[in-house]
Amino acid sequence: MVDLCSALLLLTCFAIVAQRRLSACVDLFALQSVFLAATAALVAFLTGIHHIYVAAALTVVIKAIVLPRILKKVIERLNVTRELQMNINVPAGLLICCALVILAFFITQPIIPLGFLLTRDSLAIALAIVLIGFFTMIARKKAVTQVVGFLVMENGLFLGATAAAYGMPLIVELGVFFDVLVAGLIVGIYTHRIQDAFDSVDTSKLTVLKE
Amino acid sequence: MMTISLLGLLACYSGGIFLPPCLPGRPRAQNFIANGLAIVASLFGLVLGLTGLLASEPLAISIPSTLPFLTFAVRIDPLAAFFVLTISLAGLAVSIYAFGYLTKFYGQTSLGLLGSLYNGFLLSMTLVVIADNGFFFLIVWEVMSLVSYFLVVTEHEKSEVRYAGLFYLIMTHVGTAFIILTFLIFFQQAGSFSFETFRHPESPLPEGLRTLAFLFALIGFGTKAGIVPLHVWLPYAHPAAPSHVSALMSGVMIKTAIYALIRVYFDFLGGQFPWWWGFTILAVGAVSALLGVMYALMEHDLKSLLAFHSVENIGIILLGIGAGMIFQTYGLQEFAALGLLAGLYHTINHAMFKALLFLGAGSLLYATHTRNMEEYGGLLKRMPWTGFFFLVGAVSISALPPTNGFVSEWLVFQSLFLSFHLPVVLLNLILPIAAAMLALTGVLALACFAKAFGLSFLALPRSTHARHAEEVPITMRVGMGGLAVACVFLGLAPMVVLPLLDRITGPLAGVSIEGRVLALDGWAVAPTNVEFSSLSTPALALMLVSLAGLGLLLAWALGGRLRKRYYKTWGCGINLTLRMEYTATGFVQPIKRIFSTLYQPTIKLETEFLEESHYFAKRRRFEFYIEPLFQKYLYDPVVLFFSATADHLRIVQAGSLHLYLAYIFVTLVVLLLVAV
Repeated sequence: MVDLCSALLLLTCFAIVAQRRLSACVDLFALQSVFLAATAALVAFLTGIHHIYVAAALTVVIKAIVLPRILKKVIERLNVTRELQMNINVPAGLLICCALVILAFFITQPIIPLGFLLTRDSLAIALAIVLIGFFTMIARKKAVTQVVGFLVMENGLFLGATAAAYGMPLIVELGVFFDVLVAGLIVGIYTHRIQDAFDSVDTSKLTVLKE
Repeated sequence: MMTISLLGLLACYSGGIFLPPCLPGRPRAQNFIANGLAIVASLFGLVLGLTGLLASEPLAISIPSTLPFLTFAVRIDPLAAFFVLTISLAGLAVSIYAFGYLTKFYGQTSLGLLGSLYNGFLLSMTLVVIADNGFFFLIVWEVMSLVSYFLVVTEHEKSEVRYAGLFYLIMTHVGTAFIILTFLIFFQQAGSFSFETFRHPESPLPEGLRTLAFLFALIGFGTKAGIVPLHVWLPYAHPAAPSHVSALMSGVMIKTAIYALIRVYFDFLGGQFPWWWGFTILAVGAVSALLGVMYALMEHDLKSLLAFHSVENIGIILLGIGAGMIFQTYGLQEFAALGLLAGLYHTINHAMFKALLFLGAGSLLYATHTRNMEEYGGLLKRMPWTGFFFLVGAVSISALPPTNGFVSEWLVFQSLFLSFHLPVVLLNLILPIAAAMLALTGVLALACFAKAFGLSFLALPRSTHARHAEEVPITMRVGMGGLAVACVFLGLAPMVVLPLLDRITGPLAGVSIEGRVLALDGWAVAPTNVEFSSLSTPALALMLVSLAGLGLLLAWALGGRLRKRYYKTWGCGINLTLRMEYTATGFVQPIKRIFSTLYQPTIKLETEFLEESHYFAKRRRFEFYIEPLFQKYLYDPVVLFFSATADHLRIVQAGSLHLYLAYIFVTLVVLLLVAV
C-alpha cells in the first residue's frame, strides 16, 4: 500500500513535467500533496506513531489547500495561463525524468537492503521526486512553475524523511511547514515584482541584471 | 612595571580606537582625544620597551581562547622590547605632530575614523612584535595590513590613491599567504602555534622544510619590508597616505617585517645556517639598497622619493643581518653579533630619520599643498624650523657624521670588511663587493638629498604656493624637533645604545660583545677589535664644530672688517628669474646618463616652429620618463595572465538562473554517481 501511494506521487510528478497549463500544474501539485498526506497517514496507521497524523493533516491544509490558492491567485493576476517556451521541451523532459528515476533507483540500490522499516522502498521514489522537482526548476522558464518545482522537491524530501525514519520529530516538521508557507508567500510577492520590472515572469530575462 | 605599562598601553590605544568615533561632528575634540591617547600610550610603550630591554627575564602573559590553537600570548624579550621602543618613540613624535597636521583635514575627512584607525595601527604594530603565538601573530599582522590599507585610502576621492591602495592590498595579501605557509611548516612539525614550540620542536625540521621556511619567510616578510623586486607597491602606497601615517608606515611598519625575519631566522631556525642563506639576504640587501636609491634619485614627488629611500634603507639593514648570518654559518659568533647589531642599530636610526623626513615632507605639503619638488624652492626663508629639521634628517639619511645614520652604516661597513676572517675565498670576495655597492648607495643618497634639500629650500620660490608658504604650527615643529634630537643623540651616544642592543644580539648570536664594541671607556666604537678600526662620534662632532669655528675665526682674523650689504645674488648683470634655476630633472641629468641602461629613459622633445622660419622656435615641449623595469617585465605579465584567465572564467557566470540551477543539479547527480 505504501509503495502504491509513493508510485502515485511519482506519477503526478511526471504529469507536472508534461503539463503546459500553469493552473493544471498547480492542481497536480495539490493532488500530489493529497497523495503524500495519504502515504503519511498510512504510515502512521501501520506504525502507530501518532505525530505523523499531525504532519499529514498539515500537509493537506498547507500544501493541498493554502499554497495552491496563493499560486492560483498569482496566476490570475499575472494573466499567464500557458507556458509556451521551455528550456527543454516536454518529450525530452519526460525522457530525462525517466533517466533520473533510473538513477535514483540505481543509487539507492545498495542502501535499501540495509533498512528495516516497511517504508524503505519508498526512499528511491523520494529521491526521484526530489531530482524531478529540481529538473522542473531548470526546465521551465516561468517563475510560477519554478515555485511548483521547488514545492515538489519539498514533497520529495518529506516522503524521504517518512520513508527513511518514519518522519522527522514533530517540531522539525512544524518548522518546515512554516518555512514552506513563508517561502510560498515570498515567492508570490517576488513574482509580482518581476512582473512589474520586466513585464513578464520569464526568469531567463533576469540575465540582463548582469553587468 | 612591565605588566602595568603593557596594560596602560593597551587601555590607551583601545580608548583611542573607540572614543573618537563617539564624538561625531566635533573634529577638534576627536583630534585631541585620538592623538592625546596615542601620546600617553606611546609613553607607556617607551617604559615597556626600556624595562623590557633591561629586564633579566622576558615577560610572558598568555590568555587562552575558545578557538583551537589560538592563545592571546605575548612575550616581551629584548628583541620584542627593542621594537616596541622603536614603535613608541616614532609614535610619540608623530602623534604630537599630528595635532597640528590634522587641522587641515577638519571638515574634509572624518577625524573620528582617522583617529580610530591611527590608534589601531599603532596598537596592531605593537602587538605584532610582542605576539608569542603564530595564530595570534597572523591575526594582528592582518589587522595591521588592513588598517594601514584603510589609512592609505583616506583620500579615496582621488583615483591614484585608490589605485595605490588596491596595489598595496593585493601585494600585502600575497605576502601574508607566504607567511601563513611559513608558520604552517613550523606548525606541522611542532603541533602547536605557540612560538615556544616553534623554537624548540620535539624533532628538528628536516633540511628541505627548513629551506622552504627560509624562502617563504623571505618572500612573505620581504613583501612588507619592500625588498627588490617586491618593493613596487611601496612608492605608491606610502606617499598616498596622510603624511603622519606615511611616516609611521615607512619608518616603523616595514620594520615589523625586519623583526619577523630576525625572529624566524635567528630564533626559530637558529643555529647553523647553510652559507647561501646569509648570502641570499646579503645579495637582496645590496640590490635593494642600490636600486632603491637609484629610483629615488629620479623621483620629483618628495614623498615618493622618501618611499624609495625606505627600500634603500631596508637593504642596508639586510646587509648587516646577512653578514651576521654568514658569520654565524662559520662559527664566528662575535662578528655575527656585530652584523646583527649593525642591522638593528640602523633599524632604529632609520625609523627616526625617515619619520622625521616624512613629517618634514608633510609640513611642506601642509604649507604649499603640493608634493611636487619642482614647485618648491626658497622655503628656508619662509619655514626656517622645518628647513633645519629636514636638513638634520637629510644629513642622517646621507650617513654624514655626526648623526645616527653615519654610525650604523659605519658598523655595517665594518662587519662587511671583517669578511677576511671567513675561510671561503668566494665569500672573501663577495662581501667587499657588497661593501662597494653600499658605498655607491651612500654617495647616491647624498646626491639625492642634495637635490631634495637644495631644490625645496634654497634659491627662489618656483610657484605661487611656495611664495605664500608659512611656517607650520608649533605642535608640528615639536614633533619634528623631537625626532631631530633623537637622530643627533643616537649618533653622538652609541655608548648608550650599543650595550642595550647587545642584550638583544647576545642571546641570538650566542655571545655578548658589549665589552668589545666599546673602547676608551665607551667614547669610541670598535668592530670587536680596536686595532682593526674604531670610531668616536663625540670626538668627530667636536672636531667638526671646532673646524667650523676655526674657519670663522680665521676669516675674522685675516679678512678685513666686514660690512654687511643686503643685495640680490649677482647674476652676471642679468636679473635672476625662476627659469634660471636648476630643475629637479636637470639636477639628476648626469646620473641618468651614466645609468641609462637601468633607467631606459624616454625623452620626448616637441618643437613648434614659427611659420616664417625654422630657426625660431615658438614653443618647446619636453617630456621625460623612466621605464619602471620591474613593473613592466615582472608584474605586468602576471597581471595580464590573471585578468585573461578571469575573462575566460566569466563565461561560467552567465547570470542565468536556470544555468546556476543546472550547475547545482549536475554537481548533485555527479556526486551521487561517484558516491555509488
